[in-house]
Amino acid sequence: MTLTDTLFENLRLELRRGCLTLAVLAQLRQEYYGYTLRKALADRGLVIDESTLYSLLRRLETQGLLTSQWREEDKRQKRFYRLSTYGEQIFTQLLQEWHVINASITSFL
Amino acid sequence: MELLDRYLQAVKKHLPWQGQDDIMAELRVNLESQLEDKQSALGRPLTTGEAEDWLKEVGPPLQVAARYQPQQFLIGPSVFPTYYFVLRTAFLWTAIVYSIVSAVQIFASGTPSITAVLEAILRVPVILLNTALWVTLTFAAIEFAFTHYPGLFPAMPGSPANWSPSTLPPLEKGPVFGTTPRSYAHAAAEVVFGCLLLSWLLLIPQHPSFLLGPGAAYLQASPFQLAYIWVLFFWTIIGLNLLQLVWRCVDLWQGTWQSPSPVRPIAFKIFGIVPLLLLLSVRDHVWVFLKHPALDQDRYGEVVDQINQGIYRVLLLICAIVVLQLLWDIGHISVNSYRKHVAAMQ
Repeated sequence: MTLTDTLFENLRLELRRGCLTLAVLAQLRQEYYGYTLRKALADRGLVIDESTLYSLLRRLETQGLLTSQWREEDKRQKRFYRLSTYGEQIFTQLLQEWHVINASITSFL
Repeated sequence: MELLDRYLQAVKKHLPWQGQDDIMAELRVNLESQLEDKQSALGRPLTTGEAEDWLKEVGPPLQVAARYQPQQFLIGPSVFPTYYFVLRTAFLWTAIVYSIVSAVQIFASGTPSITAVLEAILRVPVILLNTALWVTLTFAAIEFAFTHYPGLFPAMPGSPANWSPSTLPPLEKGPVFGTTPRSYAHAAAEVVFGCLLLSWLLLIPQHPSFLLGPGAAYLQASPFQLAYIWVLFFWTIIGLNLLQLVWRCVDLWQGTWQSPSPVRPIAFKIFGIVPLLLLLSVRDHVWVFLKHPALDQDRYGEVVDQINQGIYRVLLLICAIVVLQLLWDIGHISVNSYRKHVAAMQ
């Protein structure tokens, strides 16, 4: 990997980090468990590593933005996540911020 | 699937003890669901090679487990700028205090020597490492306290919450090194005064009073005599002044007086060490001796020893100061060059 590739990869990861959080919060307005959430995001063009997503879910839950619940589905215990009330408030604020940034960047281009 | 079990077992070993089972159960169900999807898409179980490729995509167990750990750092981004500032300040003051204490110790020992000076210099890295260790440990503790008990501690001094423009230091007087071009008058005056200084120095052998004043007459009448090394020392100084003068004349001739190379003062400081080393190289540390030892040894012998000892100590001190100043200048120029390089890159 060249220096330019590395630089691009670092900047890309930096750019994606915040966007992924927003995307996960948006998607979790309805309930998902880890694997189906990953598929849902990938179906909408946002591919994300398993380990990145699962650890992100745990972090967001620790921060109080998500709630989770173990439940049986297809004869298997699965952990389902969804946005908490606090998470909804934060998501609304983040979404506003996203629109401001998006409009601003679009105006530059 | 045995390979998946082995994989999960490897991940588990690197997970934090707290919540380990919970994470494992979740990871297992997610990976098993993924495996099921892959197998139903293929209409058959995965081969060993396919399973290995899939788990490779998931990631090495250590890396996967690491993502479940809280972000770990000794000193975080909010404390780091203050830590870095304190570390640099601590390094500077440690070096200054250590130099003074070492110099006092060496001279107080009664028999100062080059070996003692070298030993003191060799101890510098250990002293600085110790300083870095204590500063780092202190700030790691501060970071821990701020992270775990944010409500208990006020904002750090120098942190954005406490900062006020009124605390900014006043403007520094004088031009910043190497940024303001010298005027022609300045450069020409340097040449003129260089010539005058050289002429004055060249007159000293015939007229020692130009340097020593009334002391010259006293030296002539006294029972003491300067060693021949002082003559060599004198001509080395003349040589250095001549070199500097020639260099300045070349600057004027070539029109490069506005921004002389910052390396030049460094070069002259290095040359400046030569006469000092020449003096220090004197055998038995004798810079002054008696004109008539047979007659005056009993009366002035002890005085001559004390004078020579004093000269030796002063020479060592001057040498240490010049070397430290040289290192400081080299560091200063290196930092300036690095900053210019970084600015050019941006």
